Amino acid sequence: MFPLPLEILFIFVVTTPFVGWLLAKKNRQSLCGIYAASGLLISGIALYGLFSQVLDGNVVSDQQTSFAAGFRIDMLGVFMATIFIGLGLLVAVYSIKYMENDTGTMLFYTLLTAMIGGMVGVAFAGDLFTLYVFWELMSISSYVLVAFRKTEWEPIEAGMKYLIMSAAGSATLFLGMSFLYGITGTLNFQSLASALATAGQNAWLSMSFLLILIGFGVKASIVPLHTWLPDAHSAAPTPISAMLSGVVIETGLYALARTFFSAFASFQVQWSLVLAVLSIVTMTLGNITALLQKDIKRLLAYSSIAQVGYMLVGLAVGTQLGLTGTTLHILNHALMKGTAFLCAGAIIYRTGTRQLDDMAGAGRKMPLTAILFGISLFALTGMPPLNGFVSELTLFTSAVEANMAWLGIAIILNSILSAAYYLQVIRVLAKPASSEKLEKIKETPIIMLLPICIMAILIILLGIYPDPVLDLARRAAQSLLSMGG
Amino acid sequence: MIPLSYYLTFAFTLFIIGFYCLVTKRNMIRLILGIELMVNAANFSFIVFSSYWHAGFIDPLAHSFVIISTALVGSVTAVALTIVVYAYRHYGTLDVRKLKRLRG
Repeated sequence: MFPLPLEILFIFVVTTPFVGWLLAKKNRQSLCGIYAASGLLISGIALYGLFSQVLDGNVVSDQQTSFAAGFRIDMLGVFMATIFIGLGLLVAVYSIKYMENDTGTMLFYTLLTAMIGGMVGVAFAGDLFTLYVFWELMSISSYVLVAFRKTEWEPIEAGMKYLIMSAAGSATLFLGMSFLYGITGTLNFQSLASALATAGQNAWLSMSFLLILIGFGVKASIVPLHTWLPDAHSAAPTPISAMLSGVVIETGLYALARTFFSAFASFQVQWSLVLAVLSIVTMTLGNITALLQKDIKRLLAYSSIAQVGYMLVGLAVGTQLGLTGTTLHILNHALMKGTAFLCAGAIIYRTGTRQLDDMAGAGRKMPLTAILFGISLFALTGMPPLNGFVSELTLFTSAVEANMAWLGIAIILNSILSAAYYLQVIRVLAKPASSEKLEKIKETPIIMLLPICIMAILIILLGIYPDPVLDLARRAAQSLLSMGG
Repeated sequence: MIPLSYYLTFAFTLFIIGFYCLVTKRNMIRLILGIELMVNAANFSFIVFSSYWHAGFIDPLAHSFVIISTALVGSVTAVALTIVVYAYRHYGTLDVRKLKRLRG
C-alpha cells in the first residue's frame, strides 16, 4: 500500500483525464484545473496527518526486511513533500488562467499531478529502487511537459535535449545502483548505511559513487551537467518552468543527499571536498552566464543553477547546521523562484514577449505584479529581511563553523554578483514605457495574482519570523543524519 | 563457473558502446538506441550480481528490478520517439545537429 498522500495523488492522476474529457464535452474546460488543484489540496491535508507522526523524529516505515522494497517516511521526506505539494497546488491554480487557451489542458493537469506524485514518491522512498521508479515517473512527466506546446519548434528542441541528457543520466544512475547492490546485496538505505559504515574507500564503491553523482547531478543541474536546464526551463510553459526550477532540480539534490549520507557516509571527508569544488563552480558559472542573458526566463533559469550551487554548500559541509541550511534554502528557493517565474509568466502573458528590452515599462502598467516580482528578486539576492537572507546566512555560518570559510566567502561574493542581474530586471520594469504596445496592457488577472501573492507573503513572513521553519528544517536535517544509526 | 569479472567487463563495454553511440551519432533514433544500450548494461549488471551474491542462490529482488526497469525504459523510449516525430515535422530531418537553434 502507498502512503495516503501518494495514493490520493495517484487517484487524481488516473481520474483527471476522464473528468477533463467529460468537462470538455460540456465546454467547461477550466474546471479541470480546479479538479486537479483540489486533488493536490486533499493530498496536502493527508500529508498533515503524516506530519504529526514524524515530527519527533519517528519513522513511518512498511519495510520488514532489508530485501523488501518500500517506503520509509521521516521528517526530511515529509518536509520535502510539503514543498512539492504546496508549490504544485499554487502552480495548478495559476495554470487555470495561464493555460486556458491551450489545447489538451486535461493532459497538462494529469502530467502535472503525475510529476508531483513522482516527486513525493522520491521523498518517501525507503530504498534506492523505489526512489528510481518514482524518479522515472517524475522525469517522464517532465519530458512531456517541457515539450507540451508541440506546435512550436522551441519546446520540441528543448524537450529532445532534456530527454537525451536526463535519460542518459538515469541509465548512469541505474548502473551505479547495480554496483551498490553488488557490493552489499541490498538497496535499502538503512541496510546500505550499516553495511558500508566501515567500508572505507575502494575501487567499486568509488565507481558507484561517481556514477550516482553523475546520475543525480544531471537532474540537479550541477555544472558541467547543466546544459539542458536553460533551454528546458525557458521553453516549457511558465507554470512548468516554476515547477522545474522550484522543485524538480531540488529533488535531484534531495536524492543526492539521501544516498550520500547513507551509502557513502564512510568516506565523507573525500566527497565533501568534491562537492565543495562543484558548488563553487556551479554558483559562479550560473551567476556569470545569467549576467549575459537578454531573455527573462533564461536569466531566471541560470540563476537557478547558481542557487543549486548555494544548496550544495550545505551538503559539502555535511554538519547538521549545513544540512539545515540546505533544506531551508530548498524551501525558500521554491518560494522565491516560484514567485519570480510566475510573475515573469504574468508579464509574458500580458506583453507576449520574453525579451527583457521589450518589457521596459511593463512594471508601470502592472504595478502589483512588478512589486511582487521585486520582492522575489530581492529575496533571491539574499537581502534582509526576506527569506533568502536567512538560509544563505545559515549556509554561510555552517561553512565558517566547519573551517571551510572559503566556501562561505564564495557565497557572499556570488550574492553580490547576482545582485547585478536581479537589479537589472527591476530597473527594466520600472523604466518609462518604450513602445505603443505596452501602453495598452492591464494588470494580471486576479486568479493568477492569488498564488503569487500567497508566496510573496510567505517570503516576507519567513524572512521576518523564520524560527518555526528553521526548527522544522533542523529536525529534517537531524532525521537525515540519524539514518545510519 | 565463469568469473564475475568477465561479465562485468561485458556490462561496462555495453555501457561504453551506448555512451559512444550517444556522443557520436547524428540520427535521433540511434541516440534513443544508445540510451537503451546503457540501461541494458545496467540491467545486465543487476542480473549478474543477483546470482553471484550467494553461491547457489539467485536473488529474486534484482530480477524484479530488471523487469520494472525494462518497463520504465520502454516508456521513456515511447516519449522519446513521440518527440522525434514532432521534431521531424518541424525540421524535416532526423539529424540531431540541425536542432541547434537553442544555445544551451
